[in-house]
Amino acid sequence: MVELISPMIKQLTPIKFILIFGIIFSSCEPIVNKFDDIEGAVMYRANNIVDVGAQNTVKVMTWNIRFGVARLRFFGDGCGDRVVLKESEVLEGLEGLAEKIKQEDPDILLLQEVDVQSKKTGYIDQAQWLLDHTDFNYGAYASMWESQVILADGLGRVNTGNLILSKWKLENAERYQLPLRGDQDALTKYFYLRRNAIKAKVAMPGKPFYAVNTHLTAFATDDTKQKHIDAFKAILDGIAAEGGYFIAGGDLNEIPPNASKLDYCLDDQCKGESFHEYGIDKGDTHKEGSYFAPEITWLSSLFKSYTPAIPLDVYGAFETGHFTHSPDDNLQLDRKLDYLWTNTTWINGTTHQEATELSDHIPVSATWVIP
Amino acid sequence: MKKIIQTILFISLGLAGPQWEDESAGLLSPGRHEIGLFSPFRMGLHNGSEISVNKFLLLPSVAYKTNLAQFHKWKMAYRIQVAYPTMAMRWIQSPLGMKLGEPDMFALISPEFTIPQMISVYGELMGTTGAPSDGRLSINGGLGIGLNGKELAQRATVDLPIIYPRLSVYYNGILIKIGGEYFRQVKERWSYVIDYDMFLMPGGRGRFAFEQKGLLVWSKSKKFRLLFGYKLIAGEYPFGSQAHLLPALDLQFGW
Repeated sequence: MVELISPMIKQLTPIKFILIFGIIFSSCEPIVNKFDDIEGAVMYRANNIVDVGAQNTVKVMTWNIRFGVARLRFFGDGCGDRVVLKESEVLEGLEGLAEKIKQEDPDILLLQEVDVQSKKTGYIDQAQWLLDHTDFNYGAYASMWESQVILADGLGRVNTGNLILSKWKLENAERYQLPLRGDQDALTKYFYLRRNAIKAKVAMPGKPFYAVNTHLTAFATDDTKQKHIDAFKAILDGIAAEGGYFIAGGDLNEIPPNASKLDYCLDDQCKGESFHEYGIDKGDTHKEGSYFAPEITWLSSLFKSYTPAIPLDVYGAFETGHFTHSPDDNLQLDRKLDYLWTNTTWINGTTHQEATELSDHIPVSATWVIP
Repeated sequence: MKKIIQTILFISLGLAGPQWEDESAGLLSPGRHEIGLFSPFRMGLHNGSEISVNKFLLLPSVAYKTNLAQFHKWKMAYRIQVAYPTMAMRWIQSPLGMKLGEPDMFALISPEFTIPQMISVYGELMGTTGAPSDGRLSINGGLGIGLNGKELAQRATVDLPIIYPRLSVYYNGILIKIGGEYFRQVKERWSYVIDYDMFLMPGGRGRFAFEQKGLLVWSKSKKFRLLFGYKLIAGEYPFGSQAHLLPALDLQFGW
């Protein structure tokens, strides 16, 4: 063996050595996926496909599933101290989600915070898992955070994002990059979330329509959220301008324009934190993502242009009945952040507050009447 | 800044090398000392052996290497290394002393995990044939055993190239490593090294790693040399398989 290999290696001059090095180097993957402005979504299909014909109505549901960890005390979105969850805990959470999804039986499901390859959730591909444990046939996924490693808190590898699940085939699925936060330094911004909206054409036989799913910034302290809302609306405007029909939704991380409570800083405060210390030079005295007063009108343009599953007057008449979120392990829902929209008509808009234990958000569903 | 530099040094461990003689069965001549930016301190002893010590104090290790009887054209040696990783693994749970969510910058292992007292013992055989001017070939193979005071959570792995296979012995209890190196001097000051290592990690979610390294070596004198090139790593991790290509650099000093 040595006699065989040695002459081959001896032919390897330094120039050849450098050339081989260059060829190999060109195939390297970046640590962080920065994404194009518009790029194709990642497509999924269930192991068993069951054909579904055309319908006159389509049940649509949106749900931020908190990467399948239910109300476990994860550190990143509450006051918990857990980072890397046990695989058994994640599977238990996913089973709870699948059971609820099968019970509601939507035709289109818009999911946010779906992990497909994250250390924190045992590297379970939750998109494929949910497809194989519900009655959906097809999926389109757009990552909002894809990095080989996040160098903080022991998070490690992350790939999490938005997912559209459908009983009909999804076509021309595209990921639209939303603006990055404008209030972060360059290093933090490089490793931080890259929010997106995902649009796909649902190929229901004879009656194709579009599904759009998004998850907007939660913690930006500047006008990034306004830019996200504008970009999301621009996608919907584009579909409408071409004469298309859409169902759209997601976790907009924004409360309705007629919400009565705008300040959640003290509700969301963790042990050791302190907010509203006016008069003391401590910079922002509000908790990031918990103070909505400056942005209370930002969803008005969506409400004026398109039809929500839960109209503002319905929400205003019974606010607590339409809350969709409460942080951490607090089971008392206290704000509405999740929405469904269309450019035609909804019926039976429902806020599923019975699902409070399955995630820190609860699903909103409605039946879309096909024009 | 000091802590950031320490972190980079830790992450860089193993990126460079090989040492002047370390991958081969050759020993440092008695009384000679060598140290590199990314390689351990080594010293030739007068009894026909050498010792090396990791200069990164949070990850102390000591290795002893000595000759065996020649086997046909092969010069033979064996090396025993003992390492204590507990301090380093605890340190990378919070390198900058921050708490969870502050954020705990550069933490590679979540602070929720308890890192127990651990040591590893690694023994390997090495054989070398040929001379640098005509090409010197070395092969080696060894077995590592990890001894833990308490079980280390499998979820606490660092799923990154270089680090994952080297820490795997503490999670799985055993590591098998087989490798080879070809060194050739092409001009008076220039030589190159092609090195290959295979890690087998039975019991782990990532079961193997292959590392291939190519380095150009510029030797100013017996007191200094510069190595630069690449390291190609293809391995299996808890999330699946992936390949990485990393730059490799070392500055080595001898006296």
